[in-house]
Amino acid sequence: MKTEMPLSKPIRRFINHTEVTLDTEISLLRQPDAEPGGTLVDVYTYEIDRNVIIFPAQYVGLLKDFVIAKHCTNLLIKGAAVKKGEYHVCSYTSDSVYRGMRQIYLDALKDESGKKKKLPVQKLIQMLFLLFTHFNDDINELPWNAIINASVYHRMPKIRKTQLYHVMKESKNDMDEMMDQEEIIPRRYFVLNKAMFYSRDMFLAKTLPADELMPVLNIPQMKKFNHLEVKEMLTTRWTQTAWYQSKFFGDNMLEIMEKPLSLVNWNAEPTLDHYYELYKIGVNLSNHLLSYMTMKDWFVWESPQHLLEAHENNGAYEKDAVKKIFGDLVTDTWGDS
Amino acid sequence: MTVKEAVELLKKGLSYARRTKCKEALAYYNQALALDPNNPEGWYLRASLLIDAGKNREALSDCEKAIALNQNYSDAWSKKSLALYNLERYEDALLASTRASTLNGNDISAWYLKGVCLDELGRSDEAQEAYGKSLELEIILDMKSEKNKVGR
Repeated sequence: MKTEMPLSKPIRRFINHTEVTLDTEISLLRQPDAEPGGTLVDVYTYEIDRNVIIFPAQYVGLLKDFVIAKHCTNLLIKGAAVKKGEYHVCSYTSDSVYRGMRQIYLDALKDESGKKKKLPVQKLIQMLFLLFTHFNDDINELPWNAIINASVYHRMPKIRKTQLYHVMKESKNDMDEMMDQEEIIPRRYFVLNKAMFYSRDMFLAKTLPADELMPVLNIPQMKKFNHLEVKEMLTTRWTQTAWYQSKFFGDNMLEIMEKPLSLVNWNAEPTLDHYYELYKIGVNLSNHLLSYMTMKDWFVWESPQHLLEAHENNGAYEKDAVKKIFGDLVTDTWGDS
Repeated sequence: MTVKEAVELLKKGLSYARRTKCKEALAYYNQALALDPNNPEGWYLRASLLIDAGKNREALSDCEKAIALNQNYSDAWSKKSLALYNLERYEDALLASTRASTLNGNDISAWYLKGVCLDELGRSDEAQEAYGKSLELEIILDMKSEKNKVGR
């Protein structure tokens, strides 16, 4: 790593450790329009000769350091998987897209039957693939986010305050997702989306530990569930709301998360074996979450290149699935515009 | 007239520098400094460019010229601290960053650099204090920019 930007000692050491452990090179790049959480462009996913960590140009101090620590940990997990076995991500195929979209459609039909104001058919069809890819993104991000944050917390005690700020910011942004579509998308998927983030935040709130992260304190709609026991909730009209259901599903997901993650020795020697262990735990955790959400047959574990190709072909996959689900009901021009 | 022209050239250079067109930016800065060597901003801007290009010695010299023209130029002190840090002159870098953060208490980079230098010098507790101040300012700035994004 060669950079003219100042870095705190623990971060410089961590970058060096990552480079030596993986026998690779890391570049740091400031960009004015970078994602707030930064981006990792890595050699295990893309055909490039060095890894690049991109972060917002206005991050000049510890905010930048945390982004770097997070992405170095991510890189170590990916690199360990490549060196010790195979690195796979949740990808999709034409068939799996069909299975996912069909399931979403069936659930949407159930919801729509009870609605006074129906969603226009064209909009409903468009929503199917959007929701499908949304969950693909989430499952490729969320379990890893929990693992990476827990690892950084234990390895980098000096940047914990910075981490707390980042995690809180991320949590608020994630919880805002889909909010403006609450009335449109099938309840089940709204609830599952919120439940995933809820469980991640609850896990991090316990791990970090930081009460501020708790969704029941942080999200206005969930505040009413704070200090309430399930029994009490059942006696209230909230049992029918998406937020109550999100908490219910989220608590179950938290249990799924905590089981494998509570066994991790976060302070173990940071070797390739340790990070490979984290990778395997991440894969298992993702599989358990997918099973719980009954989405296991929506995705396939494949190489990151497979996922990139899937993204390139997603227009064709969507079109095929729509054709299979609706047959001649939808014209041949679907998706061409 | 030359002073005005020099300012225009600096503006042009800066717009190139922002688009990371360093060669063009440097050419404009050089022209501006040839016309008006008494403008501290010209030396400061060229120093910034030189640091990005890894030319820390030259950058340090430019910072010193800027400071000689204006002793209270906090940005130049901050940049000088960065050049010294890159040259691994941590004691000197610490002095410069301390001066920068005294002149401008809201300079995130200066506080952060102070923390980094103190860390390098093994003064960990003091480093944490400086990091704390830099983080506080950085969070305020980040929250403001988030607010602006939402407002847009």
